[in-house]
Amino acid sequence: MTDPSPSPAPAVRAPLSLPDLAVALGILVLGGLLLAGTLQIPFGINAVVGPRVFPLIVSVGTLLLGALLLVSTLRGYRAEPAAEEDSDPDAKPDLRQPGIILAGFLVGTLLLQPLGFVLGTAVMYFSVGFAFGERRLPLLVGVALVVALVTYVAFTRGLGLSLPAGVLKGVL
Amino acid sequence: MDAVQSLLAGFETALTPLNLLWALLGVTLGTLVGVLPGIGPALTVALLLPVTAKLPPVSAFIMFAGIYYGGMFGGSTTSILLNTPGESSSIITALEGNKMARRGRAAAALATAAIGSFVAGTIGTALLTFAAPAIAEVAVQIPPSAKFALIMLAFVTISATFGGSPLRGLISLFFGLAIGLVGTDLQSGQARFTLGYPELLDGIDFVTVVIGLFAVGETLFVASRLRKDKASVIKLEGNASMTRDDWRRSWKPWLRGTALGFPFGAIPAGGAEIPTFLSYTLEKKLSRHPEEFGKGAIEGVAGPEAANNASAAGVLVPLLTLGLPTSATAAILLAAFQQYGLQPGPLLFVTSPDLVWGLIASLYIGNVMLLALNLPLAPIWARLLLIPRPFLYAGILVFSTVGVYSLNNSVFDLFLLAIFGVIGYGMRRFDFPVTPAIIGVILGPVAESQFRTATQQSNGDFSVFVRQPLSAFILLLVLLSLIIPQVLKARARAAGRGAVQAG
Repeated sequence: MTDPSPSPAPAVRAPLSLPDLAVALGILVLGGLLLAGTLQIPFGINAVVGPRVFPLIVSVGTLLLGALLLVSTLRGYRAEPAAEEDSDPDAKPDLRQPGIILAGFLVGTLLLQPLGFVLGTAVMYFSVGFAFGERRLPLLVGVALVVALVTYVAFTRGLGLSLPAGVLKGVL
Repeated sequence: MDAVQSLLAGFETALTPLNLLWALLGVTLGTLVGVLPGIGPALTVALLLPVTAKLPPVSAFIMFAGIYYGGMFGGSTTSILLNTPGESSSIITALEGNKMARRGRAAAALATAAIGSFVAGTIGTALLTFAAPAIAEVAVQIPPSAKFALIMLAFVTISATFGGSPLRGLISLFFGLAIGLVGTDLQSGQARFTLGYPELLDGIDFVTVVIGLFAVGETLFVASRLRKDKASVIKLEGNASMTRDDWRRSWKPWLRGTALGFPFGAIPAGGAEIPTFLSYTLEKKLSRHPEEFGKGAIEGVAGPEAANNASAAGVLVPLLTLGLPTSATAAILLAAFQQYGLQPGPLLFVTSPDLVWGLIASLYIGNVMLLALNLPLAPIWARLLLIPRPFLYAGILVFSTVGVYSLNNSVFDLFLLAIFGVIGYGMRRFDFPVTPAIIGVILGPVAESQFRTATQQSNGDFSVFVRQPLSAFILLLVLLSLIIPQVLKARARAAGRGAVQAG
């Protein structure tokens, strides 16, 4: 992707970006947790390089890279959100929409075993469609059910995968 | 020649009616999913993994070959008609091809992309046919220390070339490496980073990571900043076809693009982005109509698109001969091999020749099928672009769920998928490239095992990496590829502020 905005000149001290700071600190925390986890791994026996060595390299590396990121953030570096297909780089980010999708996904996941694959994924389908601005709700519910049903039949009958039938057991 | 004979045997495998059917299904599904906006070739292959779950390995890989090339063909349709490159190597096609389409030359743009891809894919596959066995023969002798060094080279070049900042690429890589550590250590049997969950003893499936970071992350990100205006899809009248003049102007760029793309795909240098840009610059220099570039010059589609597909064939050389993926898509193919208990590498040519050669033969077949599918059927694929976004992204999410759930029939994996989706969102929001993380997840465990084998063979002497000449040479390359870009950047900055920014 081409960078549309010129990066700030190093001479001017850019204001500190708090979200970027949180990311840099988050990576340092991740590195710390990895290191703590590494120290819990027992030394291997009969091995020249035990199961601890690689995790040690990865966790120390993560800590170092996190520190470098922290330095660059403190010097005013600010991450540009990626330019993706279908996304508008100038739009105001609206975190409610991903929230709706995540909530729908988690509800669908919890319903997957008791109610079955069709109803569970229909909930997920509905929540994504709703978050993307579809407001013809009866249509969305209908498409959600049809897509979930067709997917279920295609994968279980056509490809022999086993997906939970749930309440539709015996019907399908 | 040995290669010719092996290839003929491969054709014998690939040309059975049933395998032809799998190949056809693969190219059709690959094109179908590849055309959908938001889905690049890597995700296409990952999403379609469950479709092959019940197939015998040979048929599965024949189908994968079709999906792999089909995803590339499909992506160019989206780039040209919708101006949305599915991955960085399609940027040029989108840039120049969409301008052509806007000038009413969509049919010619699609045709030169499809035929160019066919020419490049076929030549690239031919080069693969003859290069691969020769390299595999040499590769058998490569010691573990040098294999470890090669993986380091892939790590560094891939992290440094994807996205703007090497630091962010490396962080993404280390995140992937950390994910790859989760699970039981194969050599000692120790559980690592399982947090007490028995589900994590087998490690985290790469499919969950790939689909979470790519598909779910993308869905969440796009939802957060949705384009309110309707995407402008360019109508396509009739088939994809070219005039005599278009042919005259296209054939040389096709060949030059192929010549650039193949070697770049074959070395671990971060995929197809560089050769497509090089090809574009080259065609602009050589063209008799440089003024058309940027406004829809056919050479600017023909060359880069050929380079893109030639590099896709080139990527298979290190993948099949060394087990070294140099792009995200190749990394997923590697993991698909591993799911079948196969380790791509020089030995594969000895242990499973029917599989390797069946796969290579089906690349030729898939290419022909794709040409037949894409020229006359272009209007049908174009219509896929009209699927309303709410229904499209909802469908992608349901498909992701099937793919991840069917791995282990486990709801636990779906929670992991949601977590990786949120991380994928964060990576897009904070400009971390996703590909290095994928490469880290898949190659991290391989790197560890080569490292440990190497040190075991040398009885714990770590200097084996610098004393073994090939390993030392490759590790030197690793260092240089980390340092040189930084030096160049610093010099460019010193040379003139306000001058064209490096990177």
